[in-house]
Amino acid sequence: MNITRRGFTAAAALLPFAAHAQDARTRLNAIKPAGFPRDPIEMTVVYPAGGGMDITARVVQRFFDRATGERSLVNNRTGGAGLVGHTWLATQAPADGHAVGIIANLIFSDAIRSQGRWSWTDLDHIAHINAEPLNLVVNSEGPFKTGGLQGILDAARARPGTIRVLNVPGGYYEYLIEQLEAVAGARFLRVPFQGGAPGITALLGNNIDLGFGFFAEVRGHIAANRLLPIAVTGRQRTTFLPDAPTVNSVTGRDDVNWGVSRWVALPKAVPADRKAWLAAAFQAALSDPEAAQEFRNLGALPDPALNTPEKVAADVARMAEGERAFLTTRAPR
Amino acid sequence: MEGTFAALAGGFAAILTPETLYYIFIGSLIGTLIGVLPGIGPLAALSLLLPATVALPPVAAIAMLSAIFYGSMYGGSITSILVNIPGEAASVVTCLDGHAMAKQGRAGAALGMAALGSFIAGTFGIVILTFFSPALSSFAIRLGPPEYCALMVLGLVCTILMIRGSALKGMIMIGLGTAFATQGMDVVSGEFRFTYGTIELTAGIELVAVVIGLFGVSEILSTVEQSAPGMAVKTKLRNLWPSRADWAASWAPILRGSGLGFAVGLVPGGGPVTASFLSYAAERRIAKDPSSFGKGRIEGVAGPEAANNAAVSSGMIPLLSLGIPGNAVTALLMGALIINGVQPGPMLIVENPQIFWGVVASLYVGNVFLLILNLPLVGLWVQLLRVPYSVLFPTIVLLAMVGTYSANRNIFDLWVMLGFGVMGWFLRKLGYELAPLVLAFVLAPLLEQSLRQSMVMSPDGAMIFLARPVAATLMVVSALLLIFVAFKGRAATPKGGTT
Repeated sequence: MNITRRGFTAAAALLPFAAHAQDARTRLNAIKPAGFPRDPIEMTVVYPAGGGMDITARVVQRFFDRATGERSLVNNRTGGAGLVGHTWLATQAPADGHAVGIIANLIFSDAIRSQGRWSWTDLDHIAHINAEPLNLVVNSEGPFKTGGLQGILDAARARPGTIRVLNVPGGYYEYLIEQLEAVAGARFLRVPFQGGAPGITALLGNNIDLGFGFFAEVRGHIAANRLLPIAVTGRQRTTFLPDAPTVNSVTGRDDVNWGVSRWVALPKAVPADRKAWLAAAFQAALSDPEAAQEFRNLGALPDPALNTPEKVAADVARMAEGERAFLTTRAPR
Repeated sequence: MEGTFAALAGGFAAILTPETLYYIFIGSLIGTLIGVLPGIGPLAALSLLLPATVALPPVAAIAMLSAIFYGSMYGGSITSILVNIPGEAASVVTCLDGHAMAKQGRAGAALGMAALGSFIAGTFGIVILTFFSPALSSFAIRLGPPEYCALMVLGLVCTILMIRGSALKGMIMIGLGTAFATQGMDVVSGEFRFTYGTIELTAGIELVAVVIGLFGVSEILSTVEQSAPGMAVKTKLRNLWPSRADWAASWAPILRGSGLGFAVGLVPGGGPVTASFLSYAAERRIAKDPSSFGKGRIEGVAGPEAANNAAVSSGMIPLLSLGIPGNAVTALLMGALIINGVQPGPMLIVENPQIFWGVVASLYVGNVFLLILNLPLVGLWVQLLRVPYSVLFPTIVLLAMVGTYSANRNIFDLWVMLGFGVMGWFLRKLGYELAPLVLAFVLAPLLEQSLRQSMVMSPDGAMIFLARPVAATLMVVSALLLIFVAFKGRAATPKGGTT
């Protein structure tokens, strides 16, 4: 029943949509610089193939090709937990417009780790892709299956340094833990992992007590009733886990908003006409309703308000400032 | 049980279409090829082919990509045996006895046994996967950092068992491998270590560059130094097929390799590389005359080649039944599933049984394809030995460079490969074994990470390794093996000199 209705809606939507796409293509071609792109546009992902960023980039790549009629490809430059690829983008990537970064707000901590070699301001941030919060999860058969986030915070206060939480050092996971500790007046036992996924595995085996993950990482386990979502970061509840309260509402704060935001960036030195065309092309690709649907299936939501390079750049600057402010005011460990 | 058979039959029904069979065949073929080519590994091949699979139905896509993975395990042994250069990191130990056999004119027997051993072990792994997947994965998921740590300790102890010559030299190699593995990002704090202010070293040293340098480049340097340009192997090629005696010697190592490889592949962090090394160490230790290993014992080919394929099969279990990839290649397969709109995890078998069972059925089919593909080709591959060095070596160096570069698209890795090549050449001249260095390099990061995680988790220090039964068992086995080595070493010295 569902499928037929969806099929019908899609067919009905197809006609005006095709016209819309045709319009977009015409407008794109009007500002297309002569002789560009000469080669396939190379979209760099600084994390391994198959991971969340990579999957996002491959969706972007497909819709970019569809919107522009050009050829593009995804290239993974991995290593140093993203530092190698971010450094390449900021300092070495060709500035002829053929090298594009599909990046996230994790670039800010890598910029700090680069020790002054480059800054996130060495890139131009041209198109917003999507954003998603972090989900806080516990094992559904573990000691904290009831009681929610408040129960865990109470336990951490009663028995400091014994509640084992997933930590990926030097990133949002760690910032989130620090905020939880500050609000609860408690101390967690931070078990370090190299990424969220191995930490979730440890949570499934009851080797840690509290984990954080993006929706795509935990969805299958929640559906199978192995993990229980207890809260989400951000200002409002997520549509994907409507029953999970926000950390803010549990803790009475308004600043526990760590999540991931993804966007498209270019080396600063790319010529202005190419930059303008690329920004318009990515905007056209990402405003395709089908792209939005694919992101939604992965648990991420695009923000339609961020529809010009200026707004994207302002949003990136705002996130960078928020992180800088947090890092300068946090309690020394 | 009957339900399983019915479900599996459904899986076969889903994949026995010309289209899917075609993709499985293509995957097997590509896998064999990248296995043969030194440097280009399954990881690089899969990430290059990933975009191409978006257009395929999910079962065909995953069937093809996983066929590349296990196909490369079949192909890797070919280069190891014929030219003493591992086609894959998991075929490093196959060089030791496989190439010695080739030099004695028994390349055909070694190749045939490697293919048969791979087939038996791969199929063994899939049979277990078919019937015991849920039970095994719920066991594997209970294992945490202390268990991984104990397993890595056992792995290092087994590395010591592998050492053939001087124990001191072997220990130095293990130390070197461990030291190289510490370069790059600290697994716990995220700080950078021994990067000397460079960006290149922040990613650590690439395993492919190390393996190709140490075994490929250094082999070429040594051979060029020792011999006038001419034929690779001068002995005439007799018995292309494993003889009755070869079978008699190999069936037990194949079975042991299958079991060992299966267990190692099941554990996150384990994989075909570790599995093959451990199998070799085990075969050498069990043998009545360990000193004959490295001189052309077929057990040293059959065991490890079985082990690496069994590890590939069992590595599919946590991926398909839990959505947990145990190594980089299965992580890529998981990405491929997600890109194709399939969420791997406990619900896969419930929500998408045709995909789960289709992939399982494809593993059976792919292994049959590989056996059919590999056995008749043995005669053809052996002809490679007739190619003069002046043609063969530049070709191999070129392919090795392409392969090493393809892993990260990083020129720096080529310098690493060259550096390790020269180092390997010196070390060989000085009588050091290279295999322990590589295994230590593979195991050390996991050992360090799990050890430090365990210590963070533990309320009372190292006691955590004794408080958990699986970790404690592994630790006790390691300790017993160490004691055994110490005693055996002492007993052997007065009699036999410096073996």
